[in-house]
This record gives sequence, C-alpha cells and structure tokens, in this order.
Amino acid sequence: MEINELCHKTGEWLRGTGPESDIVISTRIRLARNVAHFPFLTRVKPEQKQEIEAYLRERVMRVGIDENLLYVNLADTEPVDRLFLVERHLISREHADGDGQRGVAFGRNEVVSLMVNEEDHLRIQVLRSGLELRETWERINHVDDLLATQVNYAFSSRFGYLTACPTNAGTGLRASVMLHLPALSMARQIEKVFNAVGRLNLVVRGLYGEGTQASGDLYQISNQVTLGKSETDILKTIESVIPRITSYERMARKHLVEENRAQIEDRVWRSYGMLRTARTISSEETLHLLSQVRMGVNLGLIDNVKMKTVNELFILTLPAHLQKMQGRELDPDERNVVRASFVRSRLGV
Amino acid sequence: MKCESCGKKPATVHMTEIAGKKKEERHLCDECAQSLGGSSIPKLLTPADILSSLLKQVAPELEEMQKTVCPVCGLSYLEFRSGGRLGCANDYVAFKKGLTPLLERIHGGSQHVGKMPSQVAEPVAAKASEMTQLRKELDKAVAHEEFEKAAELRDRIKALIGKSDGNK
Repeated sequence: MEINELCHKTGEWLRGTGPESDIVISTRIRLARNVAHFPFLTRVKPEQKQEIEAYLRERVMRVGIDENLLYVNLADTEPVDRLFLVERHLISREHADGDGQRGVAFGRNEVVSLMVNEEDHLRIQVLRSGLELRETWERINHVDDLLATQVNYAFSSRFGYLTACPTNAGTGLRASVMLHLPALSMARQIEKVFNAVGRLNLVVRGLYGEGTQASGDLYQISNQVTLGKSETDILKTIESVIPRITSYERMARKHLVEENRAQIEDRVWRSYGMLRTARTISSEETLHLLSQVRMGVNLGLIDNVKMKTVNELFILTLPAHLQKMQGRELDPDERNVVRASFVRSRLGV
Repeated sequence: MKCESCGKKPATVHMTEIAGKKKEERHLCDECAQSLGGSSIPKLLTPADILSSLLKQVAPELEEMQKTVCPVCGLSYLEFRSGGRLGCANDYVAFKKGLTPLLERIHGGSQHVGKMPSQVAEPVAAKASEMTQLRKELDKAVAHEEFEKAAELRDRIKALIGKSDGNK
C-alpha cells in the first residue's frame, strides 16, 4: 500500500520556503466540477456512483496531470489511512467519512490532488508553500483544461460550472491562504484581521480549534463568492488583502521584540525546552508550543531548529500520522507518549 | 369564555378600550368582532396566512416554485430548498426562476463571468448544435411542464453524449 510510503516525508507545501513564508504557510486553490450526464451525488444511486468513480478515475489517471499520480480507493481504505490523508490536507474530513465508491488521486509530492465523488463529482486541488496565488492558479487551470478534453463538465453559460451546492456555482473556485499569526494572537489583535477582511466577502477561520482563538495560531482566509466574478478577480481580491495582514503581523512581531524582548525570548525558549523534554504531550499543547518556536525561528531568536522541521512537526504529530509511524492503533494516552518521544527525536534529543 | 355578543361561539378576540381614565374590556368571537368592530379591528390572520406572508418575504420565489420538479432527476424545488443541495445539472434549468434570486443573494450576482471549459469533449460541431437545439426544447418542455416530453428529450441528449464517449 503506497500510502505508507508517504509516512516519513511531507508534502512539498510544508517546505517552509516560498514568498512571505515567515507568515504565509501555504496557498490552496480548489475547483469544483461535475460530469454533465450523471446526476449530482445527492440524487445518485450506488451503482451510478460506481460508474462515475470508474469514469473519472480512468480519465484522471490517463490525462497526464502528474508523472507520479497515485490513486487511492477510499471505500477500500482503513479509517486510519483515510484520517492520514485528511491530516495531509489531501482530502477533506467529509470525503474520509463519506460513503460509497469514492477516491482521491494525488501526485507524490502532494501538490495536486483530485477528489472523486466528494460533494461534487470532482474536486481538484493545488497546494503550494508560501503566497503563490498566480502560480497555483496557473497549475490548477492547466489541470482543469487537461481534464476538460476528456470529461464533459456540467456547465451553462448562464450559471457557469454547475455544482451540487449553489454556493459553489459559477467558477467553482475556492482559494485559501493559510497564515501564521502568533504575534497578533498574543497582542489580542486578531480582530484587525477579521475587520480587514469583512467587507471583501472573504472569510477568516482558525485552522484548528474554534472561534477566534485558533490552535497553533493558524488562520485561513478564503473567498466566499464564486459566481459573478472571474477567477482572476477573485484571486485579486485575496491578493489585495494579504499584504495588509502580513504587515500587521510583522509590526506586531517587531513590537513584541522591541518592547518585550526578554519575555518573548523566554517564551520561545521555554516552548522549545518543553518540546525537547516532555515525556507525554497532547496535540493541542504541541501545536501551541510549535507555534511559539516557529515565530522564534522567524524572528531569529532561536536557530537550533530549521523551519522545515517545525512545519513538518505540525503534521507528523497528528493522530493518524503517529499511529501509522508506530504501525498500530494507539489510544490517546499512548499517542501522547509516542508524540513526545517523536518530537524529542526530531529535535535532536 | 363565550362571546358576549352572540353568546354562542367562544370568545377569541379580547379588546381593552382605554378612553382617558375609563377602561372597558370586551370579549367577542371573531365573527361578531368583525361585524361590530368594523374598520377599527384589523383583519384577522390565520396561521396559514402568517406563514404564507413570511415565506413571501423570506423566499418570494417559493410560492411560484412550490410544485416544480426536475424531470431529469426527480428532485422537487421544495426538497432542494430544505436540503440545500441540487440533484443534477438540469435543476439549473428547471429551477431557474427560483435559483436566480437565490444566487443573487448568495453571490451578489448570478451571471457567470469566468472561464469556460477549454474544449468540449464532443468533437463534432454539428452534434453540438443538435445538442443545443435539444436542450432548448428541453427547457421549453420543462417551462410548459410537459415532463414526459422533457424526459424523452433528456434521453435523446444522453444518447448523444453516450455516442460521443464511445468514439474516443
């Protein structure tokens, strides 16, 4: 099973380089598409779902999207492996937990992934490190065009690409940028982000955790509107707001260092120390400590650890990853112990 | 309590008239209240009236679309509104009257201005125009609620698409 090969490395998007990568972790664009001559998944019979899956799987694999495209049949996959794919941002939670014939194709460097039979027949995704809206769009546009030569998309010149949920109709495009905002969180100024974004029909949400206090200080900004605007206009809107937010964060970081250097250093090094010495540690705490260390690396307050290592630890310490590494199921307490041990080893202890 | 005017029907209208320091209570059934009170009594609304007027405000297209069903997938407009999901591409035709204002509310616009599929997978232009013609007729049939005809047309469209797939 090829999923296991992914276990010890991480997707290209976590490399920690790319534009603005001190704050922008990744850029993601997804397109929703349906095949014209099948009903949407809401009204489809199980046999039809199999037909659609076979139809799309065949075409996705042969159209030349990526040299090393791997297809995983999720109906045939263990829950832990499905969760593993969710943790790597290759499929959505809904897709993992869904039913019936469905799958996902992705390249080995995990830049492109295509979900078959999630909410729409096809969901194409491209995920890159840093702020890369243009490049990501060009890549996904190309994949979409390749597939259009083989698949009759459900499309009307009036309403655009036709989707199961009207909130996705038109371009079918959802673009998101993932930001790391520890200084704004610390200074309790995350409101500024919500305000900057509010009037532009963009949405901000914490990546893990709920409400305004996001775990790991990770936030995602996405567009809400998909119809009535062109793809480039949608991307321009997001592009226009990101610089303001990154400058808020940089100012907040600068301020922290100038006003409270000793305190910030202490915070960063204590977090680092905890990660290197704890014998049992929860996911929540790990995210929090990693967030502090990541900021420390960005501010040059700590140089014992590489950015790539920190980014990877965000993913590799998640539940399914730990269980796959150990090769067996673990209950929460066992996971906390394994997590702590894995983190220590990655940090050179 | 019984109506104080006719003494027969139960009192459902309870009025309190205040004129200066004088307070007068009256308990009437709806019929007597209408006939005695004249214009000073507002027209009484039944629960169905209230619901209908609320729906008109919240979803004005709902009244017209209540009976609409897509001939291709069988989804009814009401089912769609309650479940939030559409059933097939043809729903965008069948439910156009309701979808258009809904899309305006969601997106602030309902006319697509982005990219189109780069290449239609059907290779022959003639086939494309036959397809357009069939689709137009399907639209018309749906609009006139000629659903049998619509289903027939749908099958013909399916057959056309099926044929082009076989040619690849």
